[in-house]
Amino acid sequence: MKDIIRVSIVILAVSAILLFINAKLANTSGTSGKNSITVFNWGEYLDPDLLKQFEEETGIKVIYETFDSNEAMMTKIEQGGTTYDIAVPSEYAIEKMNESGLLLPIDKAKLPNFQNIDPYFLDLAFDPENKFSVPYFWGTLGIAYNPKLLEGQTFESWEDLWDPTLEQEVVLVDSAREVIGMGLNALGYSLNSTNSLELEEAANKLKTLKPNIKAIIGDEITQLMVNGEAAVALTWSGQAADMMWDNEDIDYVVPEEGSNLWFDNMVIPRTAKNIEGAHAFINFMLDAEVAAQNADYVGYSTPNLAAMNFMDPEVIEDERYYPDEEARDHLEVYKNLGLEMLGTYNELFLGLKMELQ
Amino acid sequence: MGKLSKLPKVYLAFVFIVLYTPIFYLLYYSFNSGGTMSGFESFTFEHYAAVFEDTRLIMILFNTIIVALLSALVSTTIGVLGAVTITFIRKKALRNAILSMNNILIVSPDVIIGASFLILFTMVGVKLGFASVLISHIAFSIPIVVIMVLPKLQEMSPSLIDAAIDLGASRRDVLTRVIIPFIKPGIFAGFFLALTYSLDDFAVTFFVTGNGFSTLSVEIYSMARAGVTLTINALSGLIFIVTLLLVFGYYAINRKSKTPFSGVRK
Repeated sequence: MKDIIRVSIVILAVSAILLFINAKLANTSGTSGKNSITVFNWGEYLDPDLLKQFEEETGIKVIYETFDSNEAMMTKIEQGGTTYDIAVPSEYAIEKMNESGLLLPIDKAKLPNFQNIDPYFLDLAFDPENKFSVPYFWGTLGIAYNPKLLEGQTFESWEDLWDPTLEQEVVLVDSAREVIGMGLNALGYSLNSTNSLELEEAANKLKTLKPNIKAIIGDEITQLMVNGEAAVALTWSGQAADMMWDNEDIDYVVPEEGSNLWFDNMVIPRTAKNIEGAHAFINFMLDAEVAAQNADYVGYSTPNLAAMNFMDPEVIEDERYYPDEEARDHLEVYKNLGLEMLGTYNELFLGLKMELQ
Repeated sequence: MGKLSKLPKVYLAFVFIVLYTPIFYLLYYSFNSGGTMSGFESFTFEHYAAVFEDTRLIMILFNTIIVALLSALVSTTIGVLGAVTITFIRKKALRNAILSMNNILIVSPDVIIGASFLILFTMVGVKLGFASVLISHIAFSIPIVVIMVLPKLQEMSPSLIDAAIDLGASRRDVLTRVIIPFIKPGIFAGFFLALTYSLDDFAVTFFVTGNGFSTLSVEIYSMARAGVTLTINALSGLIFIVTLLLVFGYYAINRKSKTPFSGVRK
C-alpha cells in the first residue's frame, strides 16, 4: 500500500510541475492576458514567426489550434463548446457552412489590406461578394511526373495518362471528387457535372485506365514520387511543390482541358468571441510582407497581389504555381453538389477502386 | 523452460527487428540536415533545437503527459474500487451484466465514444479543453483497469479475507492490508496500460479538444496537408529516449528495493 501512495504522490508532483511550466510558457509566449483570439487552421499552414509578430504588433494573444479535414473542423464548430475566432476552410466547405449559418459576415471597413488581393480571387460562386470569407491560399490539381523515368515523355492533356507505355506507373490521390473530376475533364465535361450519363461515361473512361494505375493513395504519394518509385501522379500543386523541392527531376503540369482550382479562405465562425481581434488578424495576414513571408513558408500560392513584390521572382513567374490568366480560364472551382450527388460520386469512385482489386 | 533452440531465437530476433526498425529509421532521419526523409545529407542537431524553440510544441507535449499521468491515476483508483465491488456482488446475473457493460466500452470504437462525449459536453455546457480531455480519458481508461485487476481478484482466495476478519481486521484494513497488496501487480499493469492508452489516443481526444488545448496525436494528425516535418522525428526521438530511461529506472528501482511491483510473495 505504501509504495502505491508513494507512486501516486510522485505522479501528482510531476503533473503539478509540468502544469506550472506550461503556465509559465503560456505567459511568456503571450503579451497580455485577456485579449486573445483562437485560430483554427490546417497543420503547418502558417509561419509560427508571424504569430509572434502579430502578438507583438497588436497585443492580442493568439491561441493556435489545428485540424486535419474540412469535415472535422465543421463538426467542431457546429457542436459549439469552442470559441474559434478564425477558421480556414476550403471553398465547398465555406458554402456548406454558410448554408448552415455557421459564419459571421466580415466587415471590410476593418480590413484596409483587403485591396491587396488579386480581384481574380474575389466574388467567386461559393461566396459572392466575399461576404463571409477572405482568400488565404489557392492551388490547382494536375499531373506531377518524373521525365527521367519516362524517357522524356511530357504531359499536356489528361489523355496522356492513358498512354499504353505508362503501364503500372500512375498514382492517383484517394479522393472521389478529384478522380471522378479528372475523368469528366478528360472527356471535356464540367467538374461539377450532375448529369448521370456524363458521370457514367467518366467512370467507364476511368476504368480503361486500370492497366496504368499503380495505386490510389493519400499523402504517401509525395514520398513515392520523390524516391522515384512512381513516375506519374495526379496531385495538388502544393503537394507537387513539395515533391519538386526534394527531387528536382519532377515537373508539374495542369492539363489543357482544364482542372480544379481550389481555395482555402479565412472565415469568422459563429462561435467567435473576439470579432474585433479576428478582423485584426485577417487584416494582418493580408499585409503584403506578411503574406509573402507566409507563402514562402507554406509553399502554396498566395492570392495576395501586393505580396508578389516581396517574393522570389523565380517563384511567382513559375507558371506551374501561378498560371497566367489564360491558363486559369480553363480551371473550375468545385461547387457544393449536395449530399446526394456527393454519394453518387463516392459510389462511382468506390466502383473504380473495386475494379482494381 | 530450458535453453531456447535456434529457430525460436531467430524468430524472436525477427519480430524485434520488425518492431524496432521503423523507430530507428525515424530516429536516424531526425539528424538529417536535408529537411526530408528522402535522403540523408549530413548530421545535424537543428531539429532537436527546433523542438526546444517551439514553445507551442513543448506545451502540447506537456499537456499530453499531464493528461496521461492524471487520467491514469484517477482511472486506476476508480477502476480498482470498481473491480473490488464487482467481485463482491453476490448476485451472479447482476455481476455478469455489469461486467458485460464494462466490456462493451472496451470494444466500442473510439470514434463513437469521442463523438458522444462531444455531444455530452456541449449539451451539459462543459467548455472543451483540458477538463473535457481529462474526463474522457479517465472514462475510457476505467474499463481497461477493471479488466486488468479482475483476474487478480478472482485469483485471491476468499479465506484470506475470512482469516483477516477473524483476526480482528476492520473493513478498511481488509481493503488496504489484504486485498490491495495482493492485487498490486494488477493495479500497476492497469495503470501503465491506461497511461499508454491515454498517450496514443487520437479519435476520442480529437473530438473533445478545443480552446487552445491540444495533444500530440491530434497535432501530428493535423499536419497531413503540409507534411510532417523532421521536428516531429526529433520529438519522437526524445520521447523514445525518455521512455527508455523510465523503463531502465523502473528495473533499477525494482532490483534495489527487492520488493518488485510485479509478483507479490505468495
